[in-house]
Amino acid sequence: MTQIVLVTHGEFGDELLRSAKMIVGPQNGVYSVPLLAEESPEGLEAKLDAVLQEIEGEDTLILIDLFGGTPYNVAARRMRELHIECVTGLNLPMLIETLMMRDRVTAAELAEVATQAGRESVRNLGPLLNK
Amino acid sequence: MGLVRIDDRLIHGQVVTIWVKALRSTRIVIVDDSVAADSFMQDVLRLAAPPGVTVDVCTVQEGIATLGEDTPGRDKTLVLVKSPRVAEQLYQGGVKFRALNVGGIGAGPGRRSVFKNISMSGEEIATLKRLMAEGVQITLQTVPGEKCVAFVSMAGRL
Repeated sequence: MTQIVLVTHGEFGDELLRSAKMIVGPQNGVYSVPLLAEESPEGLEAKLDAVLQEIEGEDTLILIDLFGGTPYNVAARRMRELHIECVTGLNLPMLIETLMMRDRVTAAELAEVATQAGRESVRNLGPLLNK
Repeated sequence: MGLVRIDDRLIHGQVVTIWVKALRSTRIVIVDDSVAADSFMQDVLRLAAPPGVTVDVCTVQEGIATLGEDTPGRDKTLVLVKSPRVAEQLYQGGVKFRALNVGGIGAGPGRRSVFKNISMSGEEIATLKRLMAEGVQITLQTVPGEKCVAFVSMAGRL
């Protein structure tokens, strides 16, 4: 089963995981690595490395809140040495879909599932409902 | 020089986009020995850079050699460095910028909080004081439009 690592600005990841558990129930193998206010990129890097070391050898998907931010810079860099998948734009539908599918597909497939789920959940309701 | 900025996050999405728009920059030069030696990290940074902006990465020595007065498009160039030390190395090497923006230095061992998301060690404060004595105007500001503090106004207390 693919291990999931959330890397976010502040404690968004922790809270999002709590929200997701309301829907999909308790989860193992999900980690949250927050970039705290005033924390340096090196501080975040050290925390992420500690988690990645703990799950070394397992299939891993990192979900990042913001394309281009420091969590992106720090996590994407790890793709050079490690066999990990990374997807940006973390949101609740992406996380829920990822948690439901992670024991059925490979990590690379799961990265695609996450990307699709995140994208497809964004809807402007006005035009859809003719309001 | 458009601007020399100290930010240990270098290019990070929204913030750099706002600066590039405010300064009408067409080029970002990252001066950092470790990123200059890491082509994968350069790809990571370039992928998320604002559209229409060239991103070059060089070592401190290359920066000294190429960022002097006669650099083409110098006033449209945003120079990013991670630390006060590198800014001073550039200056001492002959890259005589007049303005220096401190935009972000994260907390770490030996550093204390100075302003918003900016922390500094005693050595880093001393480095900025030396640059200030050279006549460099140093400001602490995250993004244009937000609160801007002149280093000279707080240097006495640090």
